[in-house]
Amino acid sequence: MRLSFRRTRSWRCSRLCREDDVGATLVVAQGRDEPSPCIKCMEFPTVFSITEDEIDLNDLLAKITSTSTGAAAIFTGMVRGTTSRGAAHETEYLEYEAYVPMAEEKMKQVAQEIRARWPTVEGIAIVQRIGKLFPKTPTVLIACTAAHRDTGVFEAARYGIDRLKEIVPIWKKEVSPGGEFWVEGEYFPKPGE
Amino acid sequence: MNRVKLLFFATLRDRAGTKSMELDIPADLTVQGLKDKISDEYPNLKDSMSSVIITIDREYASDEAVIPPNAELALFPPVSGG
Repeated sequence: MRLSFRRTRSWRCSRLCREDDVGATLVVAQGRDEPSPCIKCMEFPTVFSITEDEIDLNDLLAKITSTSTGAAAIFTGMVRGTTSRGAAHETEYLEYEAYVPMAEEKMKQVAQEIRARWPTVEGIAIVQRIGKLFPKTPTVLIACTAAHRDTGVFEAARYGIDRLKEIVPIWKKEVSPGGEFWVEGEYFPKPGE
Repeated sequence: MNRVKLLFFATLRDRAGTKSMELDIPADLTVQGLKDKISDEYPNLKDSMSSVIITIDREYASDEAVIPPNAELALFPPVSGG
């Protein structure tokens, strides 16, 4: 008895990428026509979180590596103790906070935007650590994997961190020997962005 | 009147002196109307209203958007994660 068959037709991925007619072959149970994820979203993981725990690069990298993966571009940012560019100053620590449910939704949106722009990207990890973080401590990680390094993974990871800094609701308070202040970005997201 | 929940983050939380509060607003109040109401009724927040970002149910909202009943509104400065 055949439990499934393969066919191609116009359809919309029911999961992360929401692409119309992604051109992949859809596997559906015979006689049923339920929303299905595309092959890409079934196979390739997206990991996103706001955490107070240490960022575990090896663990994240393992989560976004598939058998077809041959390259990963990883951006990570850390607390800078001494700033010389612009207004030179020392930082004792940074204190991060987030509007967690919205931040997670917006991280998911950033991942969707990456997949729409770089269809060759396989796995995506977006993690922001919050709480009180001292110099040299990693605070954020964006990693994108792909089959090969020349498929846009560097640009995809760069886009991910740039977008996180625009639309993901997270803030940091800078605490210095001379006092403390909330760091504010410059980007005003458009409605629905 | 509609009851809505306001959440404050970063500088807005410091100035509001609270993380959240509930507020009764007219049924057809827009985001701009809310900014005006807060400016009038909460002097500590008045200066923040010109550059505040407001979300309705976790989506960025325009000044013209009408606030639905039981909305979760968040008020915050431009984000600075990373």
